[in-house]
Amino acid sequence: MQLVIFTEAFFFLCLIMSFIYMAYHTGFERRELSRLDIRSAGVYTAVLIASSFTLHLAERGYTRGKPGVLKGWLIVTIVLGAVFLAGQGTEYVRLIRDDITLNGSVFGASFFTLTGFHGLHVLVGLVILGIVTGLAFLRDRESAIGTVAMYWHFVDVVWIFVFTVVYVLPQFSSV
Amino acid sequence: MGATIKIPDPASPFPGLGVENEQGLLQWLAAVDHKLIGIMYLVMSLIFLLLGGVLALLMRIQLAVPMNHFLPPETYDQFFTMHGTTMIFFVAMPAIFGFAVYFVPLMIGANEMAFPRLNAFGFWMTFLGGVLLYFSFVAGGAPDAGWFNYAPLNERNYSFHSGIDYYAMGLLVSGIGSVVTSINLIVTVLHYRIPGMRMNKLPLFVWMVFVNSFLVLAAFPSLNAALALLLLDRQLNAHFFNTVGGGSALLWQHLFWIFGHPEVYILILPSFGILSEVFQVFSRKPIFGYAFVAASSVAIALLAFGVWAHHMFAVGLGNTVNSFFSASSMLIGIPTGVKIFNWLATMHGGKIRFATPMLFAIAFLIEFTIGGLSGIAFSIVPIDWQLTDTYYVVAHLHYVFIGGTVSGLFAGLFYWFPKMTGRMIDERGGKWFFWLWTIGFNLTFLVQHMLGMIGMPRRVYTYPNLPWYGTLNFISTAGAILMSVAGLLLVYLIWKCGRAGRTAGADPWNAYTLEWATKTSPPPMKNFEELPPVSDRRAWWEIKQKTNHDDNRK
Amino acid sequence: MEDPASFQADRINRLFNHFNIAAGAMLLLVIVLTLWFVIRYRRPEGDDSEGSQNEGNRRLEILMIGVPGLLLAWFFYETFTVSAAVMPSASPQRPPDVIITGHQFWWEVDYPGKQVITANEVHLPVGRQLLMEMRSADVIHDWWVPQLGNKMDLIPGNKNYLWLTIRKAGNYVGACSEFCGAQHAWMRIRVIAQDPADFNRWLDSNATAAMPPGDDLAREGKVLFETRSCAGCHGIKGTSAIGTAGPDLTHVASRGTLLTGMLATNEQNLGDWIDHPQRIKEGAYMPAFRFPPDSVKAIAHYLAQLK
Repeated sequence: MQLVIFTEAFFFLCLIMSFIYMAYHTGFERRELSRLDIRSAGVYTAVLIASSFTLHLAERGYTRGKPGVLKGWLIVTIVLGAVFLAGQGTEYVRLIRDDITLNGSVFGASFFTLTGFHGLHVLVGLVILGIVTGLAFLRDRESAIGTVAMYWHFVDVVWIFVFTVVYVLPQFSSV
Repeated sequence: MGATIKIPDPASPFPGLGVENEQGLLQWLAAVDHKLIGIMYLVMSLIFLLLGGVLALLMRIQLAVPMNHFLPPETYDQFFTMHGTTMIFFVAMPAIFGFAVYFVPLMIGANEMAFPRLNAFGFWMTFLGGVLLYFSFVAGGAPDAGWFNYAPLNERNYSFHSGIDYYAMGLLVSGIGSVVTSINLIVTVLHYRIPGMRMNKLPLFVWMVFVNSFLVLAAFPSLNAALALLLLDRQLNAHFFNTVGGGSALLWQHLFWIFGHPEVYILILPSFGILSEVFQVFSRKPIFGYAFVAASSVAIALLAFGVWAHHMFAVGLGNTVNSFFSASSMLIGIPTGVKIFNWLATMHGGKIRFATPMLFAIAFLIEFTIGGLSGIAFSIVPIDWQLTDTYYVVAHLHYVFIGGTVSGLFAGLFYWFPKMTGRMIDERGGKWFFWLWTIGFNLTFLVQHMLGMIGMPRRVYTYPNLPWYGTLNFISTAGAILMSVAGLLLVYLIWKCGRAGRTAGADPWNAYTLEWATKTSPPPMKNFEELPPVSDRRAWWEIKQKTNHDDNRK
Repeated sequence: MEDPASFQADRINRLFNHFNIAAGAMLLLVIVLTLWFVIRYRRPEGDDSEGSQNEGNRRLEILMIGVPGLLLAWFFYETFTVSAAVMPSASPQRPPDVIITGHQFWWEVDYPGKQVITANEVHLPVGRQLLMEMRSADVIHDWWVPQLGNKMDLIPGNKNYLWLTIRKAGNYVGACSEFCGAQHAWMRIRVIAQDPADFNRWLDSNATAAMPPGDDLAREGKVLFETRSCAGCHGIKGTSAIGTAGPDLTHVASRGTLLTGMLATNEQNLGDWIDHPQRIKEGAYMPAFRFPPDSVKAIAHYLAQLK
């Protein structure tokens, strides 16, 4: 899993670098940047970070031989992850209604691509977490939890970088 | 004999088949054994070599005389795009992975790769990618913007048909194969070595494959990002690379070359590994300067990510940026040069046997040096400003790819053929192949240095009747025909000797590494039941010496 | 490389010569050592023993790193100095002498301040440091005239610059050097370097409007040109044709070749091109209009006198 994370980290690095390149080379329109809602995105960021904590608690439940703890926190993690995706979804809908789309502008293309690929990774993570939860219910313990947790934490860390580059930095720069 | 180590069974149970048991196609389709998958990779590589070679031959026929009308321009453009893409992604990479998944487990004394089913998945994804790419020929036309596929020429408004979409899909799919196989190889080397084989005692082929796998993991994401963004542009009307919509043509070049340059090191490191083994066995000496050879490959892997813009010196990045990449590109030449001298020094004081694998190794020394030096020419920015995008580049890249990578792969083929098939390749046939190939190759590409210097650009379907253009091109085409004849001879040799060659024992070359320690050739389904403990870099040699010593003492 | 005819080409040529000496020496060393070892250390008949078990020599390794390193340091120094001499600055502070815009598959040549726009043949004065600006109307192209020195990409959305000091008058050939599509091979360049007096004369004569038609057939050709959609893409100064998608034809007959180096300029070739363009330069954006043969003759006759 470390190696998977290694290669995926490079992939996100390329996407983030492309986002920054587009921001400086072509420039994003102020109007479009201002439509980003950093507050609600910040809330959903907190939700995603919380899900990493709950997953950590689930892992602890596993290592201490407490299957109930494991299963409970797994479910909470999945719910939190789903909330994050739903939040992203509402942000997408809002932006599209405001005429900021993938094919409409350079900002639109860059924004939807970077956050979209991240969202895809979250979705995949939710599916895997779902499978692990199901297996935990079937067998009471699930040793894959350690590996899956690594992936989920990675997805979380990537989001912190993406959030910083897409939502936070534009507040300070003149781009 | 001392205590032996029992080699553990792989995690997945054996299917109950021996490699000798013929179960027809099903055995191959369902295979998870690393040896069968290795052979499938190699067969795939050979098939695509013939396809890519035919494309090249047709291109050379078109270029044989000035203003030729053998191929129309659009067809020629599809051919040179497919030729490059095929050779890099569907000939060289599969051959490298084929040898790697076959021999890395054997050389570290393991019975299987870490993830056998993932291994099979990786192969089939690579194969699927190739099929997708070639499907484009019957689906509206193959991609025609070059293997490097620059923007905005690769955008929908300049390349209307779907060839480039197939290019993107094919490479994304086969890229998944490359990445998972590299993960598999790293985990195998880290966790399945026979006890006693520490990381600094690894055979050089294993070490090179190990380092190479990290390169794959770090480089392919850049290509994937570029292809993903391109597909978004072409299919969903985004504007990443489309200047008209606000995009940047240069962004494609950066993303592509951040992949593309490490990719060429991905293609050469395993050959360096194979050649290291061959130089040792056929000079009857250990490698000269193991630590330097191993360390230099790490240096190359790290530097590989700092040189990409030397493909972009004529793009207008400015003298400061150009100078940085010029320095880094010169720097990366040093570890490569060190290796050449180490291999030469390995031959020094040896007892050289001129079997076919060694012939390729010796030819490699000179051919790769030519390719390496012409590469250094390009690191000198003002020289690059004259010679980039000319036939000088074509000469350079073929000297490093064919003189370098393919020489290593051919050496590996002839070296390991007995182990994989249980039969020897007829030495006379091998030598005929070597000489036909080597003369044909040098005839084809040596003159191309001159063509570049007198002004012939590359990627042109024809050229005007300027002085020397016709003559040099004609010579080049003659060489290509010779190479094609050699290629046919190779297929014939593999076919004939694979079925009816002289039987080979387990260790026909009296070699040094553990793949030769299996009881038979080809190895039994379960590679090793047990092995004595090892501590030397030449593990099998150490075991044989100890056995002789013990036998002599009895 | 080709005989250098400019300051830039000369500097680069010298650097290339230095490089060839060093590289040649390296290659010779490798070849000599290879052949020598291969002959000296071949296995004697019947000898199955091992070679001398020499595992390495640290001092030799350092030497093998150090010597190439020193050579490279020298060439890096030369890289630095020659680059600065050939390309003094990437974003210059003065207006360019000529603006080249790359199209698929022809060159638009603009002499700012002089209202002269031509295509495919570039007249340049000798003896001055010229600043050339490179732009693209569509995909990436590359300007390269080997005898005049370094090449430079023409990138859509960007402006690139090339400095050029031509020393000898004459005709120089070059080619587009970045794959740009089907007819990349026939996007050739012709530079006509002239003494300043000749150059100024040429510039003045090209600033004039097109020659009016001299006979009936040419008159008919001009009318056809203006009304049958030719004027939609091509411009001819002094007529109602102001198209810019294709090459400017005001003085087309004064150019030595058509189709960026493919055919000689004469009435016959002009006629053939108008009649069946896709058979001559397949992939170029000139549509096959299927004019009746008389119309073709008239238009070709008109164009052939536009000197």
